[in-house]
Amino acid sequence: MTLQDESAKGTKMQLSLMPRDDGLTIRVDEKRLDAAIATAFKDKVRTLATHGGTQVTLDLTPVEFMDSSGLGAVIAIFKAMPSGRSLVLSGLSPNVERVFRLTRMDKVMTIIPAATAVSSAVPSCGTDPA
Amino acid sequence: MMMSCPRPCLFPTRHGPAGHAPVLHRSFRADPATVRKALLLLRERFDGSVGDEVIGRLELALAEILNNICQHGAPQEIGSPGARPRSPLVQLCIVGHGGGIACAVSDDGVPLPPDCLGPRCLPAGIGSTLPEGGFGWFLVHELTASLRYSREGERNFLAFIVPLPDALTPDAEPAADRPVQ
Repeated sequence: MTLQDESAKGTKMQLSLMPRDDGLTIRVDEKRLDAAIATAFKDKVRTLATHGGTQVTLDLTPVEFMDSSGLGAVIAIFKAMPSGRSLVLSGLSPNVERVFRLTRMDKVMTIIPAATAVSSAVPSCGTDPA
Repeated sequence: MMMSCPRPCLFPTRHGPAGHAPVLHRSFRADPATVRKALLLLRERFDGSVGDEVIGRLELALAEILNNICQHGAPQEIGSPGARPRSPLVQLCIVGHGGGIACAVSDDGVPLPPDCLGPRCLPAGIGSTLPEGGFGWFLVHELTASLRYSREGERNFLAFIVPLPDALTPDAEPAADRPVQ
């Protein structure tokens, strides 16, 4: 089951939360991760990710465009992960992948293909109590 | 004296019919919402005219330049410390041509610091000191070519091109497959 979520501060932001046995997949249901939404995105997802279990997957499949504001927000979330817990990125479109590659952040953060994240998320979706 | 003659093709493109190169003019007050709107319009106007790679590079470079104007361009209001600074007025002009996409951005904000235009390094840091910002001008330099800046009167003028991929290859012959005039 998918949870819909919206940020505070009046900025509309759509997220889908998919709990798994080993953690949580957070799908960003926004086409653009830009300066208009970066702060709200960071505040909301950082709270969810740091309480999301051993491994949190940030699924960026719906995101068609990301600028350095969006990148900075993802880095902030990555840095906020508690010791022993990890943040994994999946579903990077060519435009999003370009930002990670040019800034060398693809060497710092773990990026996996979208299909891997989907197959690991699906089995626990039906047990989501929400 | 007006003469009736075929309109000359000033900007032939590789991927579109000659004489129909996409153009975008826009004027707006810089804020994240107007920047997003301008970039969406860019997509609408240029999608299909050149490859996705070129449009993606242009969209990212423009986003970084326009975000910079939003964040740092507003002049400090003298004598009214609590007043909200006025957003700079941006003029945007983008045109496709044979070698790529040419773009001019002007704004009436504060002058661009000279170090934005020199060679840029990635911001340093690792672990807890990993940088969360400072990537913008590095990306602009990575994505564009022929970046030029001037300050004229109260306005900043920035111009650059986003070249087609083969325009970056030294031994390519960019004019080879242009439409015959």
